[in-house]
Amino acid sequence: MEDQTNENIEELFERFLPDEDARHAAEDIQKAEEILREHPAPEPAGELLADINSKIAEALSAEKAKTRKLTAYRVAAVAAAIIILVAIGVRFFEKGPAETQSPVTITLIRQAIWESEDISADQAELALLTDELEQIEGEILALRLGEDGGESSREFIELEMELTDIGGDFWKG
Amino acid sequence: MAERENLDRIIAGCKNGDAESFSQMVDMYAGRCYGYFYRLTGNRAVSDDLLSELFIKLVEKIGSFKGGSFESWLFKVVSNIFHDYLRAKHRRSQLLDAQKSQLQSQTSEPGQSDSDAIDKLQLQLNKLDADTREVIMLRYYSRASFREIAQMRSEPIGTTLSRVHRGLKKLRELMEG
Repeated sequence: MEDQTNENIEELFERFLPDEDARHAAEDIQKAEEILREHPAPEPAGELLADINSKIAEALSAEKAKTRKLTAYRVAAVAAAIIILVAIGVRFFEKGPAETQSPVTITLIRQAIWESEDISADQAELALLTDELEQIEGEILALRLGEDGGESSREFIELEMELTDIGGDFWKG
Repeated sequence: MAERENLDRIIAGCKNGDAESFSQMVDMYAGRCYGYFYRLTGNRAVSDDLLSELFIKLVEKIGSFKGGSFESWLFKVVSNIFHDYLRAKHRRSQLLDAQKSQLQSQTSEPGQSDSDAIDKLQLQLNKLDADTREVIMLRYYSRASFREIAQMRSEPIGTTLSRVHRGLKKLRELMEG
């Protein structure tokens, strides 16, 4: 920004007045300011300046104390905010969704059948499996109804072995 | 250029709360600010108080100076302090209406009760209206350009030019008359 030393007063007045009037106005100002320079105001007393400097020193230490207090409050506020956030975070993770586990799938039909493209052979195998399952089902029903005439525990063991064999044979293909 | 760099260094020191920088600031500007207060109040005691108030205020306010012309910024603060003083004086005179004449003699009639010798300029300045006197003093003591003064006073530059010109012309006539 320009100061008085770089200012052309005549040019400024020319924006509002004819050239001649602008020149006179600029001269009026310069001459009157010369009068002000010739009549300087009194200077502030040395004691006053010393007093001002000591008041400034007091104000500065008060200002520093205020800044320190503000900083302490800010640090305390930030620390409190962090503690609250951590507490909320801990609670959230404690109640959060259970660890996901891959679902367990059980199938009686072995993978080879699913992947096989020989439909007729697979159909025959599935039919055989179905027959065997139906037979076992019938035997279980008979056992429950007591049609075997006793020795249930031995029958159960045999049935269990039979199931194990069927499962083993089936999975072997 | 070196002067500007020196001023920048002093301002930076003041912003950092350095008492020595403030002391340099006082040395640089106390005379001009005091002259402004004295020419507008005509009273040394009041000018002493206003000058003290100014530098204490600068301790709080210096952080808000964001560059540009420091002197324009400084004299805006100076001018605000003077206006605060006028407002306070007005309130005081309203509250203490019974003692109005006494208060006015102490604060609002520049020079009349001042124990200092009143120079001719002060007497003639008092014949100008308050606003013209103020803008002339602002121009003289801040050393700001007309453009800067117009900005400080939030008025068109033509208004500032016209007011200063008419005021100074009248002052010259009074001084030479």
